[in-house]
Amino acid sequence: MSVYDINRILVPDAPPEYEDHAGQPNYVPAPCQVACPIGTDAPSYIGYIWEGNFDAAFEAITATNPFSSICGRVCDAPCEPACRRTDSDGPLQIRNLKRFVMDKLGATWEPTPVPVTQQQTVAIVGAGPAGLTAAQELADAGYEVHVHEMTDRAGGMMIWGIPAFRLPPGIIQEDVRRLERRCPGLHIHLNSALGRDVTLEELKQKHDAVLLTIGSWWGKPMGIPGEEDEHVVDGVGFLRRVNDGERPELPASVVVVGGGDVAMDACRAALRLPGCENVKVIYRRGPEEIPARKIELEGAVKEGIEFIYHTQQVAVESNGNGLVLSCVNTEPGEPDEDGRRRPVEVAGSEHTIECGMVIAAVGQQGECAELEQRDMMAADRVRTDWDSMRTDDPKVFAAGDGAFGGSTIVMAMHHGQRAAYYVKAFLQGNQNPLPYRTPYRTRRVPVAQDIMWEKFPPQHPQFFGVGENPTEFPEIESTYDWETARVEASRCYRCDAETGSPDYSVQHREDIFSMARTNPLDHAKLRGMLHKRLRIRENPFPEQRPANLDDLVFLPANLSRLVIDPYREACNVAFRLAGKLSLSHPFMVTGFDRAPHAVRASVAAGTSDADAYYLGYERPSDTAKWLQLIPAGATRPPDPVAAGAVFMYDGNTVFAPGRAMRTQVTGFGVSSMDLLPRAIDASLAQDLDFLLIDGSGGVAGDWPELTHTPSLEMLRETVSILRGLNREEAFDLIYFGGVRSGTDAAKLIGMGANALVLGAAIGFAVGGVMTGQGLQFGSDYTEEDRASATVNVIKASVGEASMMARCMGKTNLHNVEPEDLRAVTLATAKASGIPLVGRQA
Amino acid sequence: MVTLDLAKLDVRAANERIRAAGAAGEDVEVVNPDARHHIGVGLIHPINVHVRGSAGYFCAGLSDQASFEVENNVGWGLGDNMYSGSVVVGGNAGAIPGVAIRGAEIVVRGNMGSRAGQVMKAGTLCCAGNANFMAGYMMYGGRIVILGDSGERVGEDMTGGEIFVAGKVSELGSDAQLTDTAAEEIDEIREFLDRYGVSFKGGFQKIVNAGKKLRYATSERQMRSIPFFTFSGNSSYWNPKVQEDLYIKSQIGRYRIRGYGGARPLPHLSDLAFKKDLSDAGRVVDVVSKIDMYTEIGGINGANPLQLSMPVMIAPMSYGALSASTKRAVGLASSLAGIAENTGEGGMSNAQRDAATQLIFQMLGGRLGWNIHDMNRADGLEIYISQGAKPGLGGQLMAKKVTPELARIRGIPAGIDLRSPSRHPDILGADDLVIKVEELREATGYRLPVSVKLGAGRVRDDIKIAVKDGFDFIELDGMQGSTGAGSAEVIDYVGTPTLSAIIEALDALESIGRRQDIQIVLMGGIRDGVDAVKALALGADAVAFGTSAIIAGGCIACMQCHVGQCVTGIATQDPEHEARYDPEAEAKNIHRFLEGVRWQIAALTEALGYSSVRGLNRDDLVAVTPEAASITGLEYAPQYRVRGAGLEVRTA
Repeated sequence: MSVYDINRILVPDAPPEYEDHAGQPNYVPAPCQVACPIGTDAPSYIGYIWEGNFDAAFEAITATNPFSSICGRVCDAPCEPACRRTDSDGPLQIRNLKRFVMDKLGATWEPTPVPVTQQQTVAIVGAGPAGLTAAQELADAGYEVHVHEMTDRAGGMMIWGIPAFRLPPGIIQEDVRRLERRCPGLHIHLNSALGRDVTLEELKQKHDAVLLTIGSWWGKPMGIPGEEDEHVVDGVGFLRRVNDGERPELPASVVVVGGGDVAMDACRAALRLPGCENVKVIYRRGPEEIPARKIELEGAVKEGIEFIYHTQQVAVESNGNGLVLSCVNTEPGEPDEDGRRRPVEVAGSEHTIECGMVIAAVGQQGECAELEQRDMMAADRVRTDWDSMRTDDPKVFAAGDGAFGGSTIVMAMHHGQRAAYYVKAFLQGNQNPLPYRTPYRTRRVPVAQDIMWEKFPPQHPQFFGVGENPTEFPEIESTYDWETARVEASRCYRCDAETGSPDYSVQHREDIFSMARTNPLDHAKLRGMLHKRLRIRENPFPEQRPANLDDLVFLPANLSRLVIDPYREACNVAFRLAGKLSLSHPFMVTGFDRAPHAVRASVAAGTSDADAYYLGYERPSDTAKWLQLIPAGATRPPDPVAAGAVFMYDGNTVFAPGRAMRTQVTGFGVSSMDLLPRAIDASLAQDLDFLLIDGSGGVAGDWPELTHTPSLEMLRETVSILRGLNREEAFDLIYFGGVRSGTDAAKLIGMGANALVLGAAIGFAVGGVMTGQGLQFGSDYTEEDRASATVNVIKASVGEASMMARCMGKTNLHNVEPEDLRAVTLATAKASGIPLVGRQA
Repeated sequence: MVTLDLAKLDVRAANERIRAAGAAGEDVEVVNPDARHHIGVGLIHPINVHVRGSAGYFCAGLSDQASFEVENNVGWGLGDNMYSGSVVVGGNAGAIPGVAIRGAEIVVRGNMGSRAGQVMKAGTLCCAGNANFMAGYMMYGGRIVILGDSGERVGEDMTGGEIFVAGKVSELGSDAQLTDTAAEEIDEIREFLDRYGVSFKGGFQKIVNAGKKLRYATSERQMRSIPFFTFSGNSSYWNPKVQEDLYIKSQIGRYRIRGYGGARPLPHLSDLAFKKDLSDAGRVVDVVSKIDMYTEIGGINGANPLQLSMPVMIAPMSYGALSASTKRAVGLASSLAGIAENTGEGGMSNAQRDAATQLIFQMLGGRLGWNIHDMNRADGLEIYISQGAKPGLGGQLMAKKVTPELARIRGIPAGIDLRSPSRHPDILGADDLVIKVEELREATGYRLPVSVKLGAGRVRDDIKIAVKDGFDFIELDGMQGSTGAGSAEVIDYVGTPTLSAIIEALDALESIGRRQDIQIVLMGGIRDGVDAVKALALGADAVAFGTSAIIAGGCIACMQCHVGQCVTGIATQDPEHEARYDPEAEAKNIHRFLEGVRWQIAALTEALGYSSVRGLNRDDLVAVTPEAASITGLEYAPQYRVRGAGLEVRTA
């Protein structure tokens, strides 16, 4: 999958045994993950880093990558140019973030060993990144694996090709050790070369499959006269010596030929060696085309290495003290088969460069006499079919640089995974496995919440260059500290994360991105996209979804209800309950009778500050405006200090609740649909002031709103019964149950409520955390915090409710009517009695 | 001197003659004015116009450099939106004299009606008599001089400017305060009065903004989005979003603000399926050349229509909410695709005009950036009544985005949290609206289509008014539409879905037999050619893309537009952030997206068996959810949800 190709539009099936989320709703792998050949779940580990969950970050990093510590330092990081933030202020420094985690945990992590469970065994030739990655995949699947390595250590080009200033040897050992701990069935046979110590025939006999990952070990010649001179060396050979610990004395002046990663490592290694004073790199194309990774190139330039572009070597000869390299200038010509413009020599531009040594880094090749003999090589590579990773021998597979030419560590690891997949299919007798594709997994990590995420620039580690003792090859750059890592992590767009918008979900967004990157003549992609977009979404209102206040909308004032601008907060929200009790706004508070004392006291203070009534069994403070809640069956009159009382109605109640004082308001509270008609009758008969409709099923209990979806039917039914009796104005309606916002309140007022009781909403606002036992309150809020949170939520609710009324052209909140509402779901239309939008029945 | 007799000429002909006289440098005398509306609107040359009698609504409106003298009285909206120039009225003026003026001098020798100088930006409005209530309502700048009494609630919600009252200040408006006058201010007023021959010797009280409502006291902590599926479908009632909302509100004590479109799923075009088996759709390679998609919008009443290469437009989005670079990219892309772009609120910059070959110019209640010169260079005029994202509420542009440059175009003080008025000063009902539409047509010589932008609400009623008021087309915006900043609750809970909006609009038009008398451009969560074809099949004449075009141009849907430091440089006025946006590259991306839309429309139209998009119709569709079926009246056919298994079903 390349970032915007058709596979992103129509995702191919993944092998069932792979953990893969690429085809799931609400997930599209991020560009960085797609650009990574092994599908590293970078967004998740970046999210974990921000959270400080380093273990989880470590798991995400290492899940598909046995060489994570190495990659943290030297991966060519194709994820970074793919990062969407590249176009803004620079990509996420993904490699540095990986290094941060690996530096923290890599050396000490103890992986869980994966036991051998299979009878069959596999031999692998070559302990480089391709071979060892395949080994881990196969060992993970339960196979015993024998890796034959011709040198005296495991790591391949990672150990022999990369100098210690970029990759200290301890880092490689760290990864190899972790691999060996994880895979007890993995046996690495060092100093065991194919053709010298072991033959292919032996491996085939002893094992059920053989994988050749022989690498591309030998430098290619430049093909110019004079290159046999002893002062002309090949890049990989040079690096091999240096990386084995040699620090040869070099001449003062060194020329490196080539523009790849080997050339970069060679020139920088040379610069650090004794005797060397200056290093030049000549490259036949321009700075735009140079294949070296940008950061290596910049490092080399910073260290003082001179780059001479558009220059082609033509001959080299000795002049006694040193070498004379004859060159010509080049200019870009016609594009060749890989699309790059071929360098063309400029006539008359011949010139020479004098130096003491030439390092030719113009490419590598694989060599193996035994395979040559068996006619398994095609030129310098093992002849291999990419679609099956098989060689000509049905039992022998191949992968990595030795099969497909020189590439990167991460690409070699991809090869190893790909080969292991086909080897496993072969071992399991699966003749037609699904074509391999990199699995894309997400760990669905929440997005970082740093308000500066849009502003922070890329965080770069400190660059040391050659250091004080260059020949010791000290590391060139620092690792992040935690603070810096966190800043960098917060910059991530989190392209993997679902958006907050169902209409522009991550799938939609990525489809639009893909459309915006599709050539109008790319018919296949256009067609693929059309067919994807024709897919029907899941019903956003599944059958089980109960009626919900969320599914009511308001009808705004437009042309038909124009009034003079009810600008800002000019909307009356006050109300007189039963014409007696003056409410400065329609909100009351309940639910804290059994809350911890400090919580109850601070909520009471906030409720008073917000000029709201508290509804409860006990007066929460001496100054609280209080409506007394009286349990069913109790017959005592209300407390004289209460502004009124709510007698919970249980159907048996036939008494006339008395008033302690004439100014007190009185009403029943009813908690079930069954009791509602009788409660209404009783209220009418006794000429009460109000009815409390408890849509939560249990206002008298602890946090009933958390376990019950609020009933909209009760309010509808009450209004309907009263309307039927032509007694709509007989008493006021107070509603409790699931009121979360001013919006909910305005809807309920539209449906007929006159006042609303906030319970759980205040509970959450003052720091309540939902548990099996309702809301629990921690110690992270002071009393002042809780009081001000109470005031603020009531204020915000009042503001929201009045804003809704203003949108409808009302100057009084209590003028919101059922006609101002519409339902968007059938269930809600039915429960609320509010008609559905659209065509009228 | 040219004499025009309105007993013999209608206003339209008279205005053409006045404009011609202005261009020729001749003065004009209007006799028998008969209090006709729109006398002298749209003048852009220095000219003296003498009205011998009384004028009706909007006299001298939408003009620049002209000088008017009206002997008797004028109706409301005197000098509407005048730039430079002057009007002297011998008698009284009706309501909102000097509305939205941007530099003119207006003198009323008698009394003036309510809301004088509403949303004015600069210039002087002077009244020798008394003012009625709410003089200086929501004014942003300039000077009002009242020699008599102020009237009630003077300076109500004024943001900038000064009001000088010589008589009694009966009651200060909200967020207005009295302040001291400086001697030179009085001198300047006297000089002004002398110039217009008004003799006055007394002193003044001065009223200015009290500054209590211009900025929010506490700022809202910004949170990055919670995935929508955690608070929709079968998610819990007290889901993480509810808890986050409560937490934030418990900190700030007011409603939350955010950008972008709705956060909650609604019944949508996605809940409709095509009846026909479309597995062959797109098989024809050059399908675009085979399908007639050319669409004209806005020409039904004789104006020059917008000429669209496909039934698609760019939705109105303002320079302000979006960076100049983004507006440029969208404009360029609209030109490349042969469709129309729209300024949204907040004026037309040269860059926008240059980028878009067809550009609709939008007029909002605050008249921010509205003026006759940009009207003249527009390809369509649009009266914004409301928008799908936040109908009933004015625009919000947070202070961070109100740069000096932006403030200059809009004519407002820089650095305020700009809350635009939600209603027009001169449109209080359908009857005013019809006169307003006429004013716009008069001012631009009936050349330009005039449309109305409407957020879906009481669509049945609203569209009947729109058609009766003579709009050429309506941009009908469902509640899935997006915004740069609005109350989160309003975005999610006020308005009705795009799907029901089109159905209700068509039902209403059918019920009065007027379907042919207005064109409908549907918008609000329309994301691609598939959505577009469904909308067209339901009966829309065209669709508009807003958010999806922005996403095509690099938006990552993080929903932080309101913060003003957009990470991609789109919804920001911060130069450092805007520099992150490459308008040329993004114009190409947006253009490719639009070409993808074109291809999808063509491929679907072809696969449905038509050679023109006008063949698409309701019979092409079924509903796959009970809600969508009830809303649209389409057959409920959930079996169409599964394409592959649908083959047998479809033939049964």
